[in-house]
Amino acid sequence: MTQEAQDAVGDYKYGFHDPESSTIRFDKGLSEKVVRDISELKNEPQWMTDIRVKAYHHFMEREMPTWGNCESLEGINFDNVTYFLRSSDKTEKDWDDVPEDIKRTFDRLGIPEAEQKWLGGVTAQYESEAVYHSIREDLEEQGVLFLDMDSGLKEHPEIVKKYFGTVVPHTDNKFSALNTAVWSGGSFIYVPKGVHVEMPVQAYFRINAKNMGQFERTLIIADEGSSIHYVEGCTAPTYSTDSLHSAVVELIAMEGAKIRYSTVQNWSANVYNLVTKRGVAHKNATVEWVDGNIGSKLTMKYPAVLLKGEGAHAEVISVAYAGEGQHQDAGAKVHHLAPNTTSNILSKSISKNGGRSSYRGMLQVTPKASGCRSKVVCDALMLDEDSRSDTYPTMEIGNSTADLEHEASVSKVSGDQLFYLMSRGHSEEEAMGMIVNGFFEPFTRELPMEYAVELNRLLELEMEGSIG
Amino acid sequence: MTSYLDATLPSRSEHLWRYTPWSRVHPGSVDTIPTVDSAVVKSEELEIVNQPFQPLPSTDIARIFLNEVLTDTILVECDGKEGNIHIHAGGHAVATHLHISCKTTSNLVIHIHGEAEWFGLALTGHAQPNASLSVGIINELSTDSVMVRVDDWYVQRDGRLELATLSMGGHRNKSDIRSTLQGTNSSLKQFIGVHGHGTRHDDHHVEIQHQQPHTNSHLLLNAACDDRSHSIGTGALTIDDVAQHTDASQVFRNLLLSPSSRAEAIPELEVLANEVAAAHGAASAPINKEQLHYLMSRGLSNEEATSMIVEGFLVDTFTGLSSDYVRDAIQTRLTVHLECKLIG
Repeated sequence: MTQEAQDAVGDYKYGFHDPESSTIRFDKGLSEKVVRDISELKNEPQWMTDIRVKAYHHFMEREMPTWGNCESLEGINFDNVTYFLRSSDKTEKDWDDVPEDIKRTFDRLGIPEAEQKWLGGVTAQYESEAVYHSIREDLEEQGVLFLDMDSGLKEHPEIVKKYFGTVVPHTDNKFSALNTAVWSGGSFIYVPKGVHVEMPVQAYFRINAKNMGQFERTLIIADEGSSIHYVEGCTAPTYSTDSLHSAVVELIAMEGAKIRYSTVQNWSANVYNLVTKRGVAHKNATVEWVDGNIGSKLTMKYPAVLLKGEGAHAEVISVAYAGEGQHQDAGAKVHHLAPNTTSNILSKSISKNGGRSSYRGMLQVTPKASGCRSKVVCDALMLDEDSRSDTYPTMEIGNSTADLEHEASVSKVSGDQLFYLMSRGHSEEEAMGMIVNGFFEPFTRELPMEYAVELNRLLELEMEGSIG
Repeated sequence: MTSYLDATLPSRSEHLWRYTPWSRVHPGSVDTIPTVDSAVVKSEELEIVNQPFQPLPSTDIARIFLNEVLTDTILVECDGKEGNIHIHAGGHAVATHLHISCKTTSNLVIHIHGEAEWFGLALTGHAQPNASLSVGIINELSTDSVMVRVDDWYVQRDGRLELATLSMGGHRNKSDIRSTLQGTNSSLKQFIGVHGHGTRHDDHHVEIQHQQPHTNSHLLLNAACDDRSHSIGTGALTIDDVAQHTDASQVFRNLLLSPSSRAEAIPELEVLANEVAAAHGAASAPINKEQLHYLMSRGLSNEEATSMIVEGFLVDTFTGLSSDYVRDAIQTRLTVHLECKLIG
């Protein structure tokens, strides 16, 4: 590691980075030519090039969003971002073939062990494209498609064309337009009718280069009566200049299908994490977002579900940890568009060392959606007097038969709880760590085992030095 | 002072104007300042004094507009007294500014009635150190009126302020009620009861700012929405970093009575201090079928049972008022109104 990088990394646990070894790298800044070049380089069909160009023009004309902590977005310099970087010439399927420096980075994240244990498949995104990809044979036999998005477009253009941009169109917001224009990488999953993928399917994302924007695009389609659990995790090295992560995730759960999408993001504290995540649940389908936000400078992420079919269900569980200089502006949006749809939102946040965590939510019931039920619970813990916690919930009710509840509370760690644990022989720091882990427990119990363990370890690390 | 014609019109992305844009509650075309007369203000029990106009803080478009059209401020002398103030709003466009300052204890009820097409009401007040002020506001404007209400209340050390609003009249109402807890150990209780009927559009925006330690605030908004009415409740509760040991709560409840009624609730919370108990809740539901069944099994018709539940829901809004005088006045007017509306 160079001295410059070492200095920048500081004490950030996963803040190591390897010297950049990319073979293709575009100049900084965005133009129609850059967009066309990305598309040409990937040998994409004409319709995708056209969508990219259209989205580019929309991005240039579109104003910054007004929903969220919009003042902070002024710090983004779109001209200082590299919109495409390819770190490895080909997509690898065998771990042994992955370049050594890239493998070293993944080794430190524990991917090989994780795979050996019980993962369904791994797509490790290193910079802009998938460099490592494997899928278990039983998934292939069941007809499940699990590819990186670029391969998905090459091998199954008819499916991608049918669903791409149907849940998050490029006109949705400025950042979805940007992503549509320059997207690269991400996952493409198609689960055929009636297939239940028992093991969670995973992908790791990393940013490695300075000012490297990461614009992955993920599309998951669960056909009728199928189910899948997809897990995505992020860590990134620390750099002194700002990085931009602007992904788009589209989930489509057909009749009776179930999709669970779990994320733990631990971007380093210089990354703008601006993600548009949205799922559509058709009749009797379920879409679940399990969303953990630990890192980044600013996260603006509001996983959304459109409950389009009767009896559809949405579940959003999210936790946020805001440390020094961080603003976690996260939440959930659920739109009840059909009768007898139900939703649950649970949000937990912790603010420490002057960090700011916000819950921003939208719960909408349209006039046609009779008999809907929804519950929103937001809990916030403040660990010191410099921190801040906000709650911005919105409830729009257009049907009189809807039954909705929202409750939120902000408090500090109770002195009684601390005293109880310390009287059992724990130090104040240990006691605080146990209380924080317990506070996040409704979230961690929904994660696959190794994610839960990693999250607990991360939280313990973050809590170090929090007392005194 | 900012001039209205130079001021920028607010965008709908602003929290305050999200559901009721300024253009819908301005008395005419938004780029004009029409002639606005003074409303008639009377009181038998309290002394009211006309004074030169004391400008409102120019923080938003409604206050900037009222600063242009108001000509005087009516000072209410209420120390140690209780009584009623009647505001009659008649004519095309009328407005008034009431200022209430309380040093000891006072209970007063403001009744708003009349057929004005547009009525602008500015209420300002101070609960001075150790004072206890309880104010009830009953809106019984005609069903064609548009009302814009702006409030700025300040509570000082050991002061107590109770604000109760019963909103039943007017066709389109926009209320922006702001309170600041300026002194240590000050407290605010705010109760808002809304009965939506016909095509009423009733938008309450409530801002509460805790600036000092050991301050308390409690907000309850109950809205019963019938016919094609639309109720909006937005709250903005801020606890400053020095306001440790604060206890704050906001509750928004909507009872939806007809398929075409709508309700919005946005209780926002910004907390910058850590030694606090801050909570909010919002709920929206139709009439509980079990309650309806219970009452109907006792011989009541569906309409009678429904009206009884609605009455209970709205009357309950004000049970937390410590001033018997204000609570009785409000609950009496509410009962009379509901009997007229629901039973016919």
